[in-house]
Amino acid sequence: MTVPARGIKQETIAALVPAWMRSNTALLLFLPTVIFLVLFLLVPYVNMLVMSFRTPSTSAVFAPGFTTDNYTKALTDLYYFGVLFKTVVFGMVTTAICLLIGYPVAYHLARTKSRFKGLLYVGILSPLLVGVVIRCYGWIILLANNGLINDTLIKAGLIETHLPLMYNNFGIGVGLVHVFLPFMILPILGSIQSIDPALEEAAQSLGASRAKTMFKVVLPLSLPGIQSGAILVFVLTISAYVIPILLGSFQEVIMPTLVIQLLIDAFLWPFGAALAFILSLTGAAVVIAFLKITNRYMMKEG
Amino acid sequence: MTQLTISGLAKRFGDVAAIDNLNLEIKEGELISLLGPSGCGKTTTLRCIAGFEQPDEGQIMFDNKDIIGLAPERRNIGMVFQSYALFPHMTVRQNLNFGLEMRSIGGAEAEERIGRAIDAVQLTGMTDRYPQQLSGGQQQRVALARALVIEPSILLLDEPLANLDAKLREEMRFFIKSLQKRVGITTVYVTHDQGEAMVISDRIVVMFNGVIAQMGDPTTIYSRPASKKVAGFIGQSNFIDGTCKGQDDASHYTIETSLGDIICLSGDERAQGERVTIVVRPEVIKLEAEKPDADRMNSLPGKVEDRFSLGNFAGYKVACADGSVFLVQEEPWTEFGVGDHIWCSFAADKTWLIQA
Repeated sequence: MTVPARGIKQETIAALVPAWMRSNTALLLFLPTVIFLVLFLLVPYVNMLVMSFRTPSTSAVFAPGFTTDNYTKALTDLYYFGVLFKTVVFGMVTTAICLLIGYPVAYHLARTKSRFKGLLYVGILSPLLVGVVIRCYGWIILLANNGLINDTLIKAGLIETHLPLMYNNFGIGVGLVHVFLPFMILPILGSIQSIDPALEEAAQSLGASRAKTMFKVVLPLSLPGIQSGAILVFVLTISAYVIPILLGSFQEVIMPTLVIQLLIDAFLWPFGAALAFILSLTGAAVVIAFLKITNRYMMKEG
Repeated sequence: MTQLTISGLAKRFGDVAAIDNLNLEIKEGELISLLGPSGCGKTTTLRCIAGFEQPDEGQIMFDNKDIIGLAPERRNIGMVFQSYALFPHMTVRQNLNFGLEMRSIGGAEAEERIGRAIDAVQLTGMTDRYPQQLSGGQQQRVALARALVIEPSILLLDEPLANLDAKLREEMRFFIKSLQKRVGITTVYVTHDQGEAMVISDRIVVMFNGVIAQMGDPTTIYSRPASKKVAGFIGQSNFIDGTCKGQDDASHYTIETSLGDIICLSGDERAQGERVTIVVRPEVIKLEAEKPDADRMNSLPGKVEDRFSLGNFAGYKVACADGSVFLVQEEPWTEFGVGDHIWCSFAADKTWLIQA
């Protein structure tokens, strides 16, 4: 308990606090966070939702009156559907690749007793300290037509003309995986660390090879970490703006790029808002479906 | 029924030798305990047998096959861990089935084996529970059943009772012992609890600093300890230092000490003038008001310093002539008071001689 101020008894201070405050301390402690979230998350969100039903106008943010035209256009025009589909596919593929690369790294980091464990941590976390723009420029240096990779391959005589590694889906993919990998590794790492290593030894003592141990014991038990990592990477990917802008092309856009284009270039705020909202809903739907499927797998295993 | 032979086993961690030239032969169906304080190498030895540690030198043979280099999953062992290591995402039945599944044993035979194992550990009806829903003792028994259901060649237990409360631990000792005898499986049991080792083992292997200090059945280890360290680790002891005065007969010697001459039993030949230590167990000492007159009895005068009750024993601390204090365990109805002058007497046959 805190030491009361000199000369003032604790009972006196307590008496100054109204009864209704004392009995609702938990609620009151919540309040600042709730206010923050409502102000900076909920209000803009609702604002955007309302915006998406307004009539678009090129001379002002919006014209008077409400309409559902924005949604009709977004959902019926194949072009927008295509962009949405591409965005979601990017999300899934990036998540899958991050999972394939990230899981072994997380497992190794969780189980290794090497002295260089700290270095590996630093290697995974330090890129997060560097801004995403700088990291993308790093990739440009490597992936450009006259970049390091192409240069080396051409000089080594392995290829004749440069490989198109950038300003296309491949470039975007590389950037996305590179930047979001730590977000996959860290939750999985936490999950695996909470698994008693004796469980793996027990499985081996019962006749399971290391591979079988991995699939029958470690993977099912680290599923919560995989879920967290996958959701994080997926959501980050479908809303990624900077990476596709820097490493992608303007001919083939994904949803966030399109939304910004509509907002800033075309100044069609209601329509942009509608697309943004559709992206949110689609993302949420995918995440919920993912959780449902993986939870059933968890239950099935026992 | 598998014979386990360890020869020349050595394992170093950095500069420290966790195991140093260990040689051990375990007969078929025998239960031996590796007993010693933390860091003595008992767990490392067990893990080498299991295959989770690779020794630097030596051989480990299951019957006539050297299994060093063989992965743990190929050694056909059953292991019970201190934390039980039950798979939390599987029911009891699925836990037991795991090993059988790895051996492609399924269907009716798997059902039958699981049923028998569950009955053997007295957990019938609990097969659809999850480990988190079981008590510590029940989880322990599931861990046992899981190790035995696969019918391994060797059973390894790593301080399996350490996480249980005292009463349960005592019950489980007898349970494990009778189960092991019924199944007849060669078993290596690691523990730091000497009471446990005494109750459960056919033979005890006492280890200090990676080396075997003494090997033998519980009674021998207790009444004929090989060294001061062993005597000090198992049960309570009173030590008296002295020099060998002379040999009385084939196995009895007279030792000159600061408390007078003491006759004792020795397993080895002692030379005249050799520095030795005498071990007297507290329960061997009888307290008398008058000096007893009996053949082959050592009697020392002393003064009672403290009396305490152990329930089934009365404990005394007796100060002797040279200032040393004896710990005595007498029958619970004796009533010597603090300050009483009494005689401590102990039979020569129950007084054991070891190296200084």
